[in-house]
Amino acid sequence: MAPYETAAARSATLRGALGAASAALALAITQPAWAQDSAPIKIGVIAEAQAVAGSSIPQAAQIAADEINAKGGVDGRKIEIVSYDNHSSSAESVRAFQRAVNEDHVNAVIGSYISEVVLALEPWAGRLKTVFITPGAASDVITQNIAKDYEHNKYTFHGYLTSGALAGLVCDAAKDMLVDGLKMKTAVIMSEDAAWTGPLDAGYEVCLPKIGLKVLDHIRFSPDTTDFTPIFNKIEGQKPDVIITGISHVGTQPTVQWKSQQVPIPMFGISSQATNSTFWKDTNGATEGVIYQGVSGPGVAVTPKTLPFVDAFAKKFGNMPSYAGYTAYDDVYIIVDAIKRAGSLDSDKLVDAMEKTDTVGTIGRIQFLPKGDPHVHGLKTGPGLITGLMLQWQDGKQVNMWPAALANGKLEFPSFVKIASGR
Amino acid sequence: MLFWQILIDGFAISSLYALGATGFTLIFGVTGVLNLSHGAIMVAAAVAAWAASGNFGAGAYVAAIFGIVVALLLALATYYLIVRRLQLSRAVREEEKEIFILTATLLWGIMIQEAIAYLFTNNAKTVLPIVDGVITILGVRTPANEIFTALVCWAAIGGLWLFVNRTLAGKAVLAASMNPRGVALLGIELATVYVGVWAIYGALAGVAGVLLGMFLGVSSYSAGPLTASAFSIVVLGGLGSVSGSLIAAYVVGYLETLTAYLISPAYRAIPALLLLVAVMYVRPRGLLGRR
Amino acid sequence: MLRRALVSPPVLISLIVVLVAATLPLYVSGYVLGLLTIAYYFGVFSMAWDLLFGFANEVNFGPSFLIGLGAYTAGILDSLYQPPIALCVAAGVLAAMIGGLVLALPALRVRGPYFGLTTLVAVLMLQNFVVVAAGLTGGEIGLTIPDVISIDDRVNYWIALGFMAVSGAILYGLTRSPVGLILQASGQDPVQAGALGFNVTKHKLAAFLVSAFFSGLAGALMAFYLGTASVGTFIDVTVGVQVIIGAVLGGRRTILGAVLGAVFLVALGETLRPLGDLATFIVSAAALVVVLFFPAGLLGMVKGAREAT
Repeated sequence: MAPYETAAARSATLRGALGAASAALALAITQPAWAQDSAPIKIGVIAEAQAVAGSSIPQAAQIAADEINAKGGVDGRKIEIVSYDNHSSSAESVRAFQRAVNEDHVNAVIGSYISEVVLALEPWAGRLKTVFITPGAASDVITQNIAKDYEHNKYTFHGYLTSGALAGLVCDAAKDMLVDGLKMKTAVIMSEDAAWTGPLDAGYEVCLPKIGLKVLDHIRFSPDTTDFTPIFNKIEGQKPDVIITGISHVGTQPTVQWKSQQVPIPMFGISSQATNSTFWKDTNGATEGVIYQGVSGPGVAVTPKTLPFVDAFAKKFGNMPSYAGYTAYDDVYIIVDAIKRAGSLDSDKLVDAMEKTDTVGTIGRIQFLPKGDPHVHGLKTGPGLITGLMLQWQDGKQVNMWPAALANGKLEFPSFVKIASGR
Repeated sequence: MLFWQILIDGFAISSLYALGATGFTLIFGVTGVLNLSHGAIMVAAAVAAWAASGNFGAGAYVAAIFGIVVALLLALATYYLIVRRLQLSRAVREEEKEIFILTATLLWGIMIQEAIAYLFTNNAKTVLPIVDGVITILGVRTPANEIFTALVCWAAIGGLWLFVNRTLAGKAVLAASMNPRGVALLGIELATVYVGVWAIYGALAGVAGVLLGMFLGVSSYSAGPLTASAFSIVVLGGLGSVSGSLIAAYVVGYLETLTAYLISPAYRAIPALLLLVAVMYVRPRGLLGRR
Repeated sequence: MLRRALVSPPVLISLIVVLVAATLPLYVSGYVLGLLTIAYYFGVFSMAWDLLFGFANEVNFGPSFLIGLGAYTAGILDSLYQPPIALCVAAGVLAAMIGGLVLALPALRVRGPYFGLTTLVAVLMLQNFVVVAAGLTGGEIGLTIPDVISIDDRVNYWIALGFMAVSGAILYGLTRSPVGLILQASGQDPVQAGALGFNVTKHKLAAFLVSAFFSGLAGALMAFYLGTASVGTFIDVTVGVQVIIGAVLGGRRTILGAVLGAVFLVALGETLRPLGDLATFIVSAAALVVVLFFPAGLLGMVKGAREAT
């Protein structure tokens, strides 16, 4: 026996050894078997890399992955983003999805902001049993399909606001800003003829009268339209107080022509392209005064995570993220959070974990609607969760107007717009 | 009121169509080439003008000139790299040359279109307008830009007419379209005539593209429909006949405007296409076609 | 002469290639099989196009008109009434042949570039119709076809391969037969062919109908393979361009070369996929280079080399 090995010392050493052994055992038991595998966890990202809105999706996902990896990844495993450009085509997206799952073995897919593409991918998420979340599409049919056939379609999650929800949020804002604020009474709905505007317009037609705006007309135009002169002339002929918009595929052209024709009626509602920071340049400033719905705005700290994300994105890529970038960033965190809670990469377990998501993202507090809801796996909206913002382009800047608590400016309109307050 | 609106809007869009179609038919009449990269060249001009003012801060005039120059260069490139190469090629039989040139210009057009989409995204772009504001004509509030568009189109067409009918060089061009061999016999270098015509075509297409960019806006997706619209008009009016194209441009422009106003904006393109089909069946050489 | 054609080198080589291709499902992934299935259908599109161009000397700038008619008719019929797939396909073929007839009538009366333009206009009309009649056709979103021939990658692959082989055999045989020779004569020198007593118009019309038959059939089958039909997959001008490039790349007037060209295009597109939009640019540029510098195409160059030795 060595001089220092007193009985106490020996028991201390023994205790230490036992402690170390039990710690190792505990670690071995609590650390999931899969985590001892050091291969990266792959998340596939299918997006329209050429489109302004779509290009942010893989970029934002990469930022999220980099952040998670910098903190050690998921139990030592790194997140790897595998990205596919679908050229805005459903057929290519389907091929990309098949390739991602079968060849590249991704564990989940983040995909597209175009409803048609997401609807084409939804059955494949079911066939290939892979978790799939969209950061930007708006069609209500996506969640309706999940409600119709939960067992088959449960792998799909709608990570953006459905058209129905969007209509509701626009109406909420319109009530505060247009009816109460500017005493408006009449409106004309102007939207493109596409899958996502069906439920949007239906939502508008129901909620606008409820807040006090009478719908005088409802114009749906082909997304291929380049000449909006006849459309604006028709709307002007009916003398509404406001044009409630539902446009995404088009944006630059109607906005520029609205200004060039000096249509005296303001535009308010959904205009996806107006959310892009490049829109001012794209329209040569014609977007001055246009009010549009968004989930983010420059300098608006919707949540504590919002601005740090924007800074990181701008630093790495030199421009601001599109709306789908915010949600794609959140989606990576949602997936990773679900993986951690599920302790597994098994898709069914991931689905269960994702359904219990309750996390703060960049656009608000994220929770999914539960099984049984007609919009199951859609985002929950409302105060305290996700409300969206209403922003107005002023002098080259996107200024937030609503909700009042997050507003950083006041409504201003170009001189040719006539606000008929209190008519 | 509606009548005046239709009259004025129709006039502006028809003038734009006329300018585009004129260039297209000029190339065919003189060189026998149907340039299927026409729409792409127009879009390139508009996007170049947009980029000049957006990325480099150029003023509206400078940007417009830049756009026109880009179209000119692309037209000349089309001639030297593709058309001339195929026309002089010994690997292709004479009867097949037309078809090969058609295919080659189609591919070239796709290349230009994809390059634009890759560099600038496929988002719609508008060119900084040279003229701003609105003018009220007969009770119709019209953007001054529309009037400007129509005026410039007619100035360009008028300039072309003067060139062809009053200048020696222009007469050589006219002669080359009727009898290339005769022109060569007169000692005029045909190659020079061709280069000249392609340059004029490039300028016309550039002006049309920039004006379109100011008036309605373009995106890389516009290239195909623009080409289709140009040759529809040209076939309607008669391949090779400039006056035929002008008339046909107005017919098509007004048909579209009437449809958009009176029926629905969604069906805008249909009547013109139906007319084209009817002409194909009944009088394939068009209104004033020569063959 | 037919017998000699049957054992000629091109036929023997093709036979071997087909046999080898038939064994691919044993060791190749489902994804690649899917790519090749599409490539084989495009091979038939290109072969049908080559018959018209290479032999009847008629440039069809809108092969997607016939293809689209076949695919959409079959698809719409299925989505409305769900009759047996064979019936839908037959209806698609019939529609394509009627379309071919409608297209041929004005086309054969005009010369030169007018025919090409007519065919392009036909594509535009069909495209507009599909978009406007969205209730029937699914519009720009596309048509969902309830039935598919099979969900097994390998079965679909073999069906496409077999179909392509049989179509290729028929089309190639046609071109080597007396009828094919007359067609070639009508195409290259209609005046002389007419002087020799052959009814040029009748033969060209027949070529149209055969081309329409195969285009429509392949279109309908492909629609039932994909389970969807959309403007972008079947009607768009870019589809037509791909068909034409495939035929020209492979070598016009060879029929068999068209398949080579189609497969090559698909392979090229796939290899360049990581480059994103630049891929389309490069493929178009490559095709342009072939048109400008190697107009005889792949197989044409081989043929030329053999004839020169």
